Amino acid sequence: MRRRLESMAEDATRALGKGSLPPGPVPEGLIRIYSMRFCPYSHRTRLILQAKGIRHEVININLKNKPEWYYTKHPFGQIPVLENSKHQLIYESVIACEYLDDAYPGRKLYPFDPYERARQKMLLELFYKVPHLTKECLVAFRCGRECTDLKLALRQEFCNLEEILGYQNTVFFGGDCISMIDYLFWPWFERLDVYGIADCVSHTPALRLWIAAMKQDPAVCALLIDKNIFLGFLNLYFQNNPDAFDYGLSC
Amino acid sequence: MSGGSARSLGKGSPPPGPVPEGVIRVYSMRFCPFAERTRLVLNAKGIRHEVININLKNKPEWFFEKNPLGLVPVLENSQGQLIYESTITCEYLDEAYPGKKLLPDDPYEKARQKMIFELSSQVLTNKKTTFFGGKNISMVDYLIWPWFERLEAVELIDCVDHTPKLKLWMEAMRKDPTVSALITDAKTLRGFTDLYLQNSPDACDYGL
Repeated sequence: MRRRLESMAEDATRALGKGSLPPGPVPEGLIRIYSMRFCPYSHRTRLILQAKGIRHEVININLKNKPEWYYTKHPFGQIPVLENSKHQLIYESVIACEYLDDAYPGRKLYPFDPYERARQKMLLELFYKVPHLTKECLVAFRCGRECTDLKLALRQEFCNLEEILGYQNTVFFGGDCISMIDYLFWPWFERLDVYGIADCVSHTPALRLWIAAMKQDPAVCALLIDKNIFLGFLNLYFQNNPDAFDYGLSC
Repeated sequence: MSGGSARSLGKGSPPPGPVPEGVIRVYSMRFCPFAERTRLVLNAKGIRHEVININLKNKPEWFFEKNPLGLVPVLENSQGQLIYESTITCEYLDEAYPGKKLLPDDPYEKARQKMIFELSSQVLTNKKTTFFGGKNISMVDYLIWPWFERLEAVELIDCVDHTPKLKLWMEAMRKDPTVSALITDAKTLRGFTDLYLQNSPDACDYGL
């Protein structure tokens, strides 16, 4: 059952690699995201596309075997990249998320008030060590190295976030409703379990409540990655298998 | 009051009072390039503001209540709201104040400016190797170095504390035999700069 759901996901397509044909222009009324099914940075942008109900198409990129044409989309070949029907390219996950919020109608994910917007951006600065630390923990864990110092450092970062939630006395980082900053944080928290570091939130109850509340959000739910598929990807990725990125696809 | 000619406040100084209505305050330091960004935007938009300079080598205890990181620039408004991180302060001012918009209205054009800025910052701060070209010094390091050599001369060096990788790069550069053979000490650079700005024909021979 889970496998069928995975293949119905919008981004359930094979990753394009070297030798692949460059995709054509983006049709009007649609925006394209160059992505990878398991990348947390792309995940941020896909969350915003989902939360705002933006019609989009996904092209997955094989990050171990990048298509030559992909460097015409991003100078360093990074993901995510947005491409619209006017051939405009937007990269850097945070910039892409803000672009989508600005350019598309409907529910605004950033607050209107300039100070509240600035507050969310300051909160994002507080988060900056988390992606690197979680990645280091994953690598250490996968390579059989001990990572007590790394986990300690990560717990400290989570304590800082816990303090914010305590001080604000709100469920979400932006207030009582989910907003941009929550989506920008989420991908790394979704990965705590498969990275083997779920115990790093054992001392942070408000953060655990936030995680539970996030799992109730429709956009988060729609994009939740099946644990076994993620583990399958990680196994292949750490064996340097270029097919890792397509793990779990039905065809 | 304009751009920060007042003496900096240090340890033991009394905390400043609330910010009067109609004015925004910036905690700054006269030679900090990050704080200068904010002052540039304040001036470009004609925003009434007051400047409090902070002694970054002897920070007042109360300053950590303005910014727990203890860095400048920090904005404080009459509602007691505090904003820090130079790029965030600049964007806040552009959004909160009327007049000429410095960031484009068009979502793509706004994103484009941010991408250019982010990529250039990435090259500077996210590089994984000691030198810009890799593990060893190479062309790009020599091409960039002269500007940073001069940074020290005009006392901007304190602010590379914001960017520890840059600081490490500068230290590594100074150890390079070629760089150290050609390095000009800060005092001489300052002497030259003074005369040069006075349009003195002796500027170019300063120190000989």
